Amino acid sequence: MPDRSLPAEHWTDRLQRFDRRWLFLLMGLAIVVPLIFPIGLPIKPTPMTKAAFNAVEELHAGDVVLISLDLDPASTPELEPYYRSVVLQLKRKGVKIVVVSTWYQSPPLMERWIREAIDAPLAPPGTEGYSGAPDRAYKKNVDYVYLGFREGKEATILRMGNDLRGTFDGHANDGTPLDQIPMMNGVKQLKDFKLLVLVSAGFPGAKEYVQNVQARYDLHMVASCTAVSTTDLTPYFQTGQLEGLVGGLAAAAEYETLVGMRGTATAGADVLNVGHLVVIFAIVFGNVIYLIGRRNARKRGAA
Amino acid sequence: MTALPFIDVVGAWIGIFLTFCILSFLYKDNPFYKFAEHLFVGVSIGYVVTLQYQDTIEPSLISNLNLAHWWKIIPLILVAMMLIKAVSRRYSWLGRFPLAFAVALYAGIAINAAAQSELGAQIKFASHSLDAEKADLNHADMAELGKIPGVNPLIAKKLVDERARTPFTSVDDAVTRPSLTPAEQADLAEKRGELVGIDAKAAVAAHDKDWFGIASNILLLAGLLASLLYFYFSLAHKGVVGRVSRFGVWILMIGFGASFGFTVQGRIALAIGRALDIQGQTIAPEDAAVIHGPLVALISGLAVVAGIVVWELRERRKAAAGTGAGGADQTQ
Amino acid sequence: MKKLAPLALGVMVGLYATAEFYIPDWHVRALTSELQSWAAVIAAFAYVLGGVNLIQVNYPKIKRRERDWGYKVVMVVSAIVMLIAGIKWHKAFTAAPGGMVATATGGLPGKARVVIDAPDDVMVKVGAASAAPARVAGKAFELDVDPGKVSVRVYRRIGGFDEFTTELELQAGQIATVKADPAMLWGTQGRVYVWLYDHVFAPCNATMFALLAFFVVSAAFRAFRMRNLEATLLLGSAIIVLLACAPIGGAISDDLLDLKQWILDIPNNAGRRAIMMGAAIGAITTSLRIILGLERSHMGAD
Repeated sequence: MPDRSLPAEHWTDRLQRFDRRWLFLLMGLAIVVPLIFPIGLPIKPTPMTKAAFNAVEELHAGDVVLISLDLDPASTPELEPYYRSVVLQLKRKGVKIVVVSTWYQSPPLMERWIREAIDAPLAPPGTEGYSGAPDRAYKKNVDYVYLGFREGKEATILRMGNDLRGTFDGHANDGTPLDQIPMMNGVKQLKDFKLLVLVSAGFPGAKEYVQNVQARYDLHMVASCTAVSTTDLTPYFQTGQLEGLVGGLAAAAEYETLVGMRGTATAGADVLNVGHLVVIFAIVFGNVIYLIGRRNARKRGAA
Repeated sequence: MTALPFIDVVGAWIGIFLTFCILSFLYKDNPFYKFAEHLFVGVSIGYVVTLQYQDTIEPSLISNLNLAHWWKIIPLILVAMMLIKAVSRRYSWLGRFPLAFAVALYAGIAINAAAQSELGAQIKFASHSLDAEKADLNHADMAELGKIPGVNPLIAKKLVDERARTPFTSVDDAVTRPSLTPAEQADLAEKRGELVGIDAKAAVAAHDKDWFGIASNILLLAGLLASLLYFYFSLAHKGVVGRVSRFGVWILMIGFGASFGFTVQGRIALAIGRALDIQGQTIAPEDAAVIHGPLVALISGLAVVAGIVVWELRERRKAAAGTGAGGADQTQ
Repeated sequence: MKKLAPLALGVMVGLYATAEFYIPDWHVRALTSELQSWAAVIAAFAYVLGGVNLIQVNYPKIKRRERDWGYKVVMVVSAIVMLIAGIKWHKAFTAAPGGMVATATGGLPGKARVVIDAPDDVMVKVGAASAAPARVAGKAFELDVDPGKVSVRVYRRIGGFDEFTTELELQAGQIATVKADPAMLWGTQGRVYVWLYDHVFAPCNATMFALLAFFVVSAAFRAFRMRNLEATLLLGSAIIVLLACAPIGGAISDDLLDLKQWILDIPNNAGRRAIMMGAAIGAITTSLRIILGLERSHMGAD
């Protein structure tokens, strides 16, 4: 027999306990449907992204820039679009590139990204949908140098600041002595680079570069990070320790817009529209149920 | 472009299947997820061990073990001590040496990093003037002009050239000069605004105040001090101290809300990335055409769902048989 | 002695690491660089020990046929396969020459010709010309170039293979035939290793993190409650940033984007700066305790 002494369950209590796997399904649909039916809203660059773009635009042909790819496969949706855009921007200006990493998860990914974006042209003449200056295939050890990965986290970053060549035992990843690479003439420490481009997924990354070497060697840096790290790095942008900050997929899409080459970030930013609305709906709906339930509980308590 | 080797096509299919194995965890922990998880952990460990040896230990230590670099015997001894700790309980205390070395070195690094960057640079910024003046369009340098909303280095250069010809008489005059292209003028028109737009940040006279900027600077400093007070637990948070630290909590909460917003964006982006990979948007179109990602995804998804249904039914039958046997035992 | 000696080492190294920042002498810089390389080697070896630990922990479980022992077999076998793939086996055998160049005459007057003799899954880049397949419909790649220095690169577009690069010095009328078949590599840049990384490690790594997207919406529904003013401020700020981060924010209003930027610049930075400063003081304190030997928890029990 039902116990009539217990108060009947309010509909809000039932709703608060409903199977969360329906929410998972809703999220899945929110991700898949916009990919099949894109919305295509315009993307408006924000100040931090524009600052990062302008910092790279101020470089000249022949300048040498360090790109530190501190990432893993999971962070590629947020970081790879920025990497491709900034490499296109650097190549069309004729800037020399040195690539390193402090993350053990990155080398095979890095090597593929170098093959696809630096060894090959990203936007050869006649590229559809691209109106900027074309780029060309870069030559290894002439236009770019791949130094590779070294373990050590902050110790490695500090060591690069003090002795870049020693950190990589005096040779590029393919074994070529750095002394025999003309573009590395005069490049012995991090301060010999005109700009450091930090593409970072977490620890160690942009934060560790800022903490350990930026002020010590008065370095110019721009960073791209995952959205999760953005709010941690905005104080550095405000103080000028970072000259630009591209935080997350949406900012990477803004960067693609500035460079003039639509890529996966622009496609992904479309999906963010629906995904974010689903989360906002979940927050609002959850709180409406909670507030109604709380008011009901207070009434029952008063009664 | 050359064709994608068949083994790589098969590899892409395997990757998609493993993706659905892991996504099946959203239903519940199941054999497909466990298999993918253990495969991933095994491959990760094999990957990291070989990589760390070949990319760090071999070039930095092994290949330098010679008389010319005699001091490399020291890290070799430290590494041997680590190995002894892992394999011998009796001599595991030797592992304290490399640990002490590494922990102390990183602690020493952290002191200077924290002092210079986290304290020094932040205190220096926090103690700058609260005053905020609008950029004088007729005299500001390129760097200052670049800080005005909507003004990129190209536009800044044009403004400098324009004012050299004829000084600006108003902000309207500056943003409609003929050397600016219609697109640039439209961009600047979009950025007009009294609070945070061009009208708030730029003027044609010197020392015009940006009042909203001043208010924001005051709030920035007040928020910083109040938040710092909140974290100071040696004083009871009562009375004035309590009220100020409560204000600090409000500032922190607004910041955490922004963090949460970005975190959500980051998490969704991770899922978007997998979806884009499967759809074939992250590889060359020719390769995507051979892999047929969406079709393989559908087949993998159905296979995993079917497998989980079979597994669920078996588990339920096992559970029912177990309960039935137990019940039979009880009646006997 | 068993604890004091390591502590003493820690004190010396820690004091040195702190002091070296203030000493610009190049000897100090060189010593610091060397010590940092030792730390890197120790950190790298810790991962190797992780691999040893994998066997130590899981082998007894497999032997005793404990719960889920089958999955442990999968884990250990896949680790061993990856380890084997990561060894540079190709260096154990005599390396065949990566490529050969033979020159002949008979080319167009005033021009030199480069002919590539390579399999059809190989790409070639000659000079400034775009990269192209070495063989299309059975026909070998040929290109007429100006006499002089010409760089040739023969490679496979998939990772894990060697490549053949050469600089040719050609005269007018010469035909240079470059014969190359980039060999498969082993090791951390090898075919099998990179294949396993691309098709097992990367998808699994990415999908594990992708699960978070689903859990965050569940958390948003169940856990984020406006219980008080502070929680309301948090959620209000979160909703503004969520809208403004996606393109829909800009479509709704540019003021939303400005508001988001203001939230990041003022309240967020104020709070973060306070946390940074507090954390920095904490880090300095803890680091000093470690360096002075007051903090010994990392030494473990006796």
